[in-house]
Amino acid sequence: MATDEQLVARLADGDQAALAELLCRYERPLSHFLHRYLGGRDVEDLYQETWLRVFRHAARFDPGKRFSTWLFQIAINLCRDWHRRVRPESVPALPESCGAADLDRTEAGIDARRLLALLPAPQREVIILRYFHDLTEDEVAAILECPKGTVKSRMHHGVARLAELVRTRARP
Amino acid sequence: MSESRAERDALVEHVEQCPDCQADPPPVLEITALLRQATVDVDAAKLSRRALARLRPELAADAAAALRRRVAAVVLLSLLPLPAVLAYDACWLRLAYGVARAILPASVAAVVVLGQAAFLLFLFSATYAAIPLLVARRELPRPT
Repeated sequence: MATDEQLVARLADGDQAALAELLCRYERPLSHFLHRYLGGRDVEDLYQETWLRVFRHAARFDPGKRFSTWLFQIAINLCRDWHRRVRPESVPALPESCGAADLDRTEAGIDARRLLALLPAPQREVIILRYFHDLTEDEVAAILECPKGTVKSRMHHGVARLAELVRTRARP
Repeated sequence: MSESRAERDALVEHVEQCPDCQADPPPVLEITALLRQATVDVDAAKLSRRALARLRPELAADAAAALRRRVAAVVLLSLLPLPAVLAYDACWLRLAYGVARAILPASVAAVVVLGQAAFLLFLFSATYAAIPLLVARRELPRPT
């Protein structure tokens, strides 16, 4: 069975079968990542755009890197661009330093999807990759192109914020 | 990148390794319960089909360009020994004309040798014409 990296090399030559195989291997993790990151909005557009970039830049792919890392880097960059362009409409984004009163106000609206959306993007990225995609801290650091310590720090703040939201939610 | 491992494992793993979390343990079970509700309602296979359909024209164009590059490379490579082969054939035809001239009238000998030359030319043309066809047959992308 061809490795991901071999498939990318074939994709650079326009091999449709190679793309179909890569799609098959990564359609679930990528689509789920995008869905969680974007809160379900514009998933199809960004899914297609991610694969379009994979295809267009396949010739420049560094075979020393893991394809999955590269794929998620592309997806995350697209998601960040998307967030800059499109402001969340249905999910209120709280500032990082919001107080209990703010949390109380949104308490009723917090569901599982909103919980992720309430996290600042850097923390959300780490939480999604680490908890939902079974990635190690090293892999997350490689995808986010940041030190492992930053991943740990973001994770801690993310978990602390989730804890805060859960406690606020449970408050009678 | 599977989603096989329970989210709780990653959460517990972090809490166990994080001194700050150990000092003020987060409600792991409650967080996990909430995160698990974050189900994903997306048809991944459908997304892939649409992505493939969108990319197919560009893939076909790229495949054609790659094929053209390969054919050009192979043709250029096969042209390298051509001068030596032509020189060898020219010598052989001159020799054949000399022998034929010894036993046949000049005009008949010329017709025989020219016929031989035409045959060789046909063989060369057929060989070089076959190169792109053979490369294409070998390199064309497999159907999906």
